[in-house]
Amino acid sequence: MPQVLTANRLSDGEVVYLASDGAWVERIAAAKVFTSPAEGESGLHIGAAAERELKIVHAYLFDITPAGKPVKMREVIRAAGPTVRRDLGKQAAL
Amino acid sequence: MYRYDEFDQKAVDERVVQFSGQVARRLSGELTEDEFKPLRLMNGLYLQLHAYMLRVAIPYGTLSSKQLRMLAHIARKYDKDYAHFTTRQNLQYNWPRLADVPAILADLATVEMHAIQTSGNCIRNVTSDHFAGASADEVDDPRIWSEIIRQWSTFHPEFSYLPRKFKIAVTAAPKDRAAIKVHDIGIIIRRDAADVLAFDVYVGGGQGRTPLIGHMIGESIAAEDLLAYLEATMRVYNQYGRRDNIYKARIKILVHQIGADEMRRQVAVEFVEVKAQGALALPQVEIDRIAAYFASPAFETLSDENPTTANPAFNVWLENNVAKHKVPGYAIVTVSLKPIGGIPGDASAAQMDVVAGLAEKCSFDEVRVSHEQNLVLAHVRQRDLLTVWQQLAAAGLGTANYGLITDIIACPGLDYCDLANARSINIAQAISTRFANQDRQREIGELKLKISGCINACGHHHVGHIGILGVDKKGVEFYQITLGGSGDETASVGEILGPAFGEADVPDAIETLIDVYFAKRSPGERFLDTYRRVGIQPFREKLYAAH
Amino acid sequence: MPLIKNAAFTENQFVHVADDETLPQGNVIVSLKRWQTERADLITRNAPIGVRLNSDQSAEALAGDVHHFALIEIDFPKFRDGRGYSSARILRQRLAYTGEIRAVGDVLRDQWLFMKRCGVDSFEVRPGTRLEDFRSALTEQTVFYQRSSDHHRSVFERRHTACQALAAE
Repeated sequence: MPQVLTANRLSDGEVVYLASDGAWVERIAAAKVFTSPAEGESGLHIGAAAERELKIVHAYLFDITPAGKPVKMREVIRAAGPTVRRDLGKQAAL
Repeated sequence: MYRYDEFDQKAVDERVVQFSGQVARRLSGELTEDEFKPLRLMNGLYLQLHAYMLRVAIPYGTLSSKQLRMLAHIARKYDKDYAHFTTRQNLQYNWPRLADVPAILADLATVEMHAIQTSGNCIRNVTSDHFAGASADEVDDPRIWSEIIRQWSTFHPEFSYLPRKFKIAVTAAPKDRAAIKVHDIGIIIRRDAADVLAFDVYVGGGQGRTPLIGHMIGESIAAEDLLAYLEATMRVYNQYGRRDNIYKARIKILVHQIGADEMRRQVAVEFVEVKAQGALALPQVEIDRIAAYFASPAFETLSDENPTTANPAFNVWLENNVAKHKVPGYAIVTVSLKPIGGIPGDASAAQMDVVAGLAEKCSFDEVRVSHEQNLVLAHVRQRDLLTVWQQLAAAGLGTANYGLITDIIACPGLDYCDLANARSINIAQAISTRFANQDRQREIGELKLKISGCINACGHHHVGHIGILGVDKKGVEFYQITLGGSGDETASVGEILGPAFGEADVPDAIETLIDVYFAKRSPGERFLDTYRRVGIQPFREKLYAAH
Repeated sequence: MPLIKNAAFTENQFVHVADDETLPQGNVIVSLKRWQTERADLITRNAPIGVRLNSDQSAEALAGDVHHFALIEIDFPKFRDGRGYSSARILRQRLAYTGEIRAVGDVLRDQWLFMKRCGVDSFEVRPGTRLEDFRSALTEQTVFYQRSSDHHRSVFERRHTACQALAAE
């Protein structure tokens, strides 16, 4: 299953994703998609390095569908914001 | 209420500086996240799903108007214009930036508030009866003793790296409004035959993965020995509580494994040692000093009146949300934070300001937070009730549902919490909306419905008359229902009904349970009474036949 | 690992001896187990002796013996493991031990003050630790609500001695 690397930004806790250019971005739509376990493994190394560089906290991979949506509710909510407050979180700006 | 003296203020001010330094060390990389985590947790700072979360201590749920206004101010300035009142009488901000937390703590310190020990494996914020000082049934103000325990447990050098978190609750009334039997330590204050205060200490209650009711370990402990007894209990736990398995690390597991009698013996041995050192004996002059802060406010001499009006909506609120006060002419008002279809425990900054204003004008400048996630104006003149209600209602705070099926406790669940397996607020909203009809709610009568989004049970589902636990089954949220829990003086742990329900089916399942209750109840019985008389079977049969 | 005692870096005067190792001359630290099995021989030695308590070993095991030790080491295998704080308090209070108590293992800067309050008086610290960090960590808090194993009186007591002092003036 394809995967995306995510973390929270150290300074403010914002949910971020690793993009193809190595930047940590706030939108899941801009995230790099890892298509193999080996790629995912390399992603985790990038995450660990970013933690040491004080950019982010707790990098991990999660599964997405072929359409690019998170499989688990937890990641759906992290990518959008609280389902009970559509005016808050990333979804508020959409 | 208690006011800081120079010592208290200095302790909090020093902590602000210390924590600011810790944040700076984290941001500079001197501290790793693993090292920073226990430090930030001991200062109430979590990293949740969307952002950091800061939990502010509201000791035993008592606030001044000025403090509540500051909480509103912080919500506006550093957060998203609202905050969440929790089942531990605390308040949580869901969106603070790490770099802003030192400034937030500095603001809190100006109104004698802090976030010390609101998380971490230490002694947490002490909770108590939200009607303290106002209800006729108490033998003493439990906040005096809660404050003493708060001070003793603050920065306790020996008990800040316990096997697991530690929660203490205190009540001084026969009617237990603080759920003391489901706490690590629960204290019941009584008066003995000679009218002297005596402290019964219950140990090893708790919810979570293994819900257990506390055992009375210390009986009739004298006031001056209270801290010595607590220190003895903590020392036994710190040495022998399990540290190999996070799910078995609470004191309840230790008590369960060695037995209440052995626990009592070990604590008694330690108690003798601690007492012999004498350092923890409370000087009477200090007890008196703290007690003086909780002296009754200057009540007027009034007589009880009938505040009913021609307004039926007010009358319903009066009947539901207003309780008897110990002083004639006064009343205790519960401000519901459970609007129909709303988020339990959330309040906007504007709402906090409204309540602060009312407290200032009509309740001797005091607000309480209840563990049921409501606010309380504890000392309102009966003649002011109509005005108070009108202003509350205008701010969306006039819901007349205290103790009813829509007065739901719910943890933040998967909408906010990093530990959650499922959402809980959405379930609370769906049930609240389904049972919106006021007459129907009142016909059902007292019903404590409590929802948790994971087994940690922050939503107290184990002690709900109806409890709901969210679980994750292969990525889909399901909800397990328990019946017959209770957090009061008749404390009991709910029993699981059967297989869990999907999100959409929960309101129907609750309807079915209410139908069974209506069919089976005898006159005057609450849901819990009927359940205790007829048992789980009729509910189970109907529910699983219907679904 | 560097060692701090009395707010200064100090040479470690003791050597650890494994249970199966022959005891060398000079100051040694032995395990609790070795102390218990070889107690009769060990007390006849002339050099100062230290004993090491693991976090799952109760200080009570040394009851009646503490006067034999110049040093008791308390191991903190992980900084989250707080049993050693109680061990130190029991050594100081109940067993009236007055020799050196040394905290070793995974000890963080933010724990030194609490350890000191519980009776620890020397600290194995991470390489690179600066003495000014140590000093400031010990002075970040000055208000102590509870009596412990250090010299501080509790706030409960200080409040009233302050009053009495004022009244006496």
